[in-house]
Amino acid sequence: MSGLLLETRHICKSFSGVPVLQDVHFDVRPGEIHALMGENGAGKSTLIKIITGVYAKDQGELIWDGKPVQIDSYQACHALGISCIYQELSIIPPLTVAQNVYLNREPRKGPFIDYATMEKMTQKLIDRYDFPLKPSALTQDLGMGQRQLVEILKGLSSDSKLLIMDEPTSSLSGKEARSLFKIINALRDQGVSIIYISHRLEEVYALSDRVTILRDGKNAAVLEGDQITPKVVIEKMLGKAMEETDESSKLLRLGEGEVRLDVRGLTDAAGRYRDVSFQVHKGEILGIGGLIGAGRSEVVRAIYGIDKAAEGQIVLDGRPFAPSPCSSIAAGIGFVPEDRRSQGFVPLLSTVSNVALTNYDIIHKNGLAISAVDERELGKRAIDKIDIRPSDPDKEVGLMSGGNQQKVVLGKWLVRDLKLLIVDEPTAGIDIGAKKEIYDILDELASQGVSVIVVSSDLQELIRVSHRIIVMRKGSVVREFKGEVVTQAKILAASQGVEQSEGNAQ
Amino acid sequence: MRNLNLSRLSKPIILVAFVVTLAILRPSSFLTISNFANVLWSVSVIGIMVCGTIFVFLLGGIDLSIGTLAGLSAVTVVEVIKNMGATNESVIIGVLAALGVGAAAGVVHGLIITKFDIPAFLVTFASQMVFLGLSMVITNNQIVSAREPVLFTAIGSMKVLGFPLPIYLMLLIAVGSWFVLSKTTFGRGIYAIGGNPVASEISGIQVKRSTVLCYVFSGVTAAIGGIVLAAMTQQGMASTGTGYETQVITAGVIGGVSLLGGVGTVSGCIYGAVLMGLINNALNLLSVPSTQSGLVQGLVIIVAVAFDALQHQDQSRRKARRILGRLGGDKANESPAA
Repeated sequence: MSGLLLETRHICKSFSGVPVLQDVHFDVRPGEIHALMGENGAGKSTLIKIITGVYAKDQGELIWDGKPVQIDSYQACHALGISCIYQELSIIPPLTVAQNVYLNREPRKGPFIDYATMEKMTQKLIDRYDFPLKPSALTQDLGMGQRQLVEILKGLSSDSKLLIMDEPTSSLSGKEARSLFKIINALRDQGVSIIYISHRLEEVYALSDRVTILRDGKNAAVLEGDQITPKVVIEKMLGKAMEETDESSKLLRLGEGEVRLDVRGLTDAAGRYRDVSFQVHKGEILGIGGLIGAGRSEVVRAIYGIDKAAEGQIVLDGRPFAPSPCSSIAAGIGFVPEDRRSQGFVPLLSTVSNVALTNYDIIHKNGLAISAVDERELGKRAIDKIDIRPSDPDKEVGLMSGGNQQKVVLGKWLVRDLKLLIVDEPTAGIDIGAKKEIYDILDELASQGVSVIVVSSDLQELIRVSHRIIVMRKGSVVREFKGEVVTQAKILAASQGVEQSEGNAQ
Repeated sequence: MRNLNLSRLSKPIILVAFVVTLAILRPSSFLTISNFANVLWSVSVIGIMVCGTIFVFLLGGIDLSIGTLAGLSAVTVVEVIKNMGATNESVIIGVLAALGVGAAAGVVHGLIITKFDIPAFLVTFASQMVFLGLSMVITNNQIVSAREPVLFTAIGSMKVLGFPLPIYLMLLIAVGSWFVLSKTTFGRGIYAIGGNPVASEISGIQVKRSTVLCYVFSGVTAAIGGIVLAAMTQQGMASTGTGYETQVITAGVIGGVSLLGGVGTVSGCIYGAVLMGLINNALNLLSVPSTQSGLVQGLVIIVAVAFDALQHQDQSRRKARRILGRLGGDKANESPAA
């Protein structure tokens, strides 16, 4: 078979008269890994939703295996052999792995579900792809990474010819991601085609046979083989030349000057981090690298005071400091949590109300009554400072795009006087444009003397923003990089406990 | 002009439609000050109670105990008055004792819910029975009457400018509740907690303390409701207030409160209570037999809520379209038409 597995021709789609896809062509060959890329809002999700029958297209055709097809429901898409692994987990927590994988397709014995066979079938799948899962385990007891694997297993279970993966690694650890890549490669070798959507550029370089890039709802480029380079991909996505094309290495600073935060021997009762000590200087951006589960988030949560450390001392500006969210905010510490959707903002409330949440102490009050004018001014200031779009201060934050939601979470700290800002995975799942704006803001804060702690699993990001980097592994600080040239390979090696040779990051 | 869209107006429209219809059908009996006073008087206890319970609704919690807690407060106040010889001091002490019972109940609810992380539904369902039981023990399941002194009975029925006192009490509490919810840091915090407790905690809001306070408000307004009920009926017994929790929840839901938390206004709740009163009044005036009134009442509530929901659905459909548009392209979001 030499033809194309799936081809979309002249796809057009508008929402309320606004075109989001204009004459888009996209094709997938049998047995290839095809990355679909573009900034948030470029039209990737819409295209995928048209392919999977969630949206009806306005114009154009879908061709499957050489024949024109109508896909108007997920069932129709499934019948053709297309499976989609969603970014939003569709796992039902109280059910077991096997029950989730075969949900609504349970093997039966007469009128009853044949659980024994179901578990055997699931075990077979698990063995085939070598996942660290048990068929009888309840998914609610699994970590996020493992749940994602269940989701993938569900997609693989129906012998699909085309597997669509939307940000499959967003909640996986490095190890889990690597085993997923192995699986993806193995699937391709078995003749399965994969459409791969990811914001992590390095994954796309490592995996893809071809890349289709969308920009503003139109085809920007299709790249193949050697054409796929970071520089070209980013240029095509942004539609302009990058000022800095190579960010895989950087000369770090020494970490000098007045000490703002001194963390001494921080230890967790549950053992998630042990004897963690480091300092952050005035106007310095300290990056904390390491794998997911290394205890980085737990350490910064303890510094801000969401969870309490069992032992150790936190010294802020020379004075011992007992953190709790309230006292931390009062002391000039800001915190942008890891998962903005569940921890960062209140979706039902407007930008104004979300920004006001941490700033009632600086909003004028008449007696007890909050000044609505002052509150609004503050919201508008945040919008101006960080270019939140839409700029309507009454817009519910839950209705905004991921990048703008994150800007709201960050914005509420920017309107007050900060000494230290802690950001945990500040750009997870947001587009390159918004990423760059967030980096610029962190740089600006540092130049104004604010200390910043950045926890990030994105090595490129870590190197891009940090002045100095510490790496955590299994709950301890294992390496500090300062006053030297750091590369992604060196950080990766330290995170994985490998003493670095002149290794390769990939 | 975004404040003037149809969905905002759906509640006044329903109210006006109701009033106009009744005014046409029963012009002589409906359109009188005394009838309006009666309608408001009949819903004043629900109105008072919902103004405190809305705090709990906004958290995403529920308080099922308010009915029997009102009963316990009623019993408390009439027992104090009886045992102190129906003096004016006994009224003051009795009222304070009843308010104390309400506040204490709220503190206990709040602490159990926050410390042990037990669903509010279970905690307040259990305490509902505890309060009923306590009232029965205190009164030995007898009716305790309190026809004296005038200072007490006036709470329930004294008329000022043609309207009974409980109506003023309801308005006063509604204004206070509105002020706290929309103007103070604490009130804003309640909406935030209901919308996302984790983000609220990280934003420095004292989630547990606020939660306890919300249950205290709910308990205190239940106690006030109980006192007013006792004063209106000039008696107190274990079953005083029974069933009020359902009526209060109904008033809240009719008024647009989301039982999932984060959404709801005091004015909406008062609207809900008043609409319930109007429905009852209409059934009376139109001489609907009492055997059918429950049926009609239920159907009217469904129609009213559905009409309101339809307006919001329009709005949420537009929102949904915008979200879908955003998934495809930010432009859909920024267009002025959206």
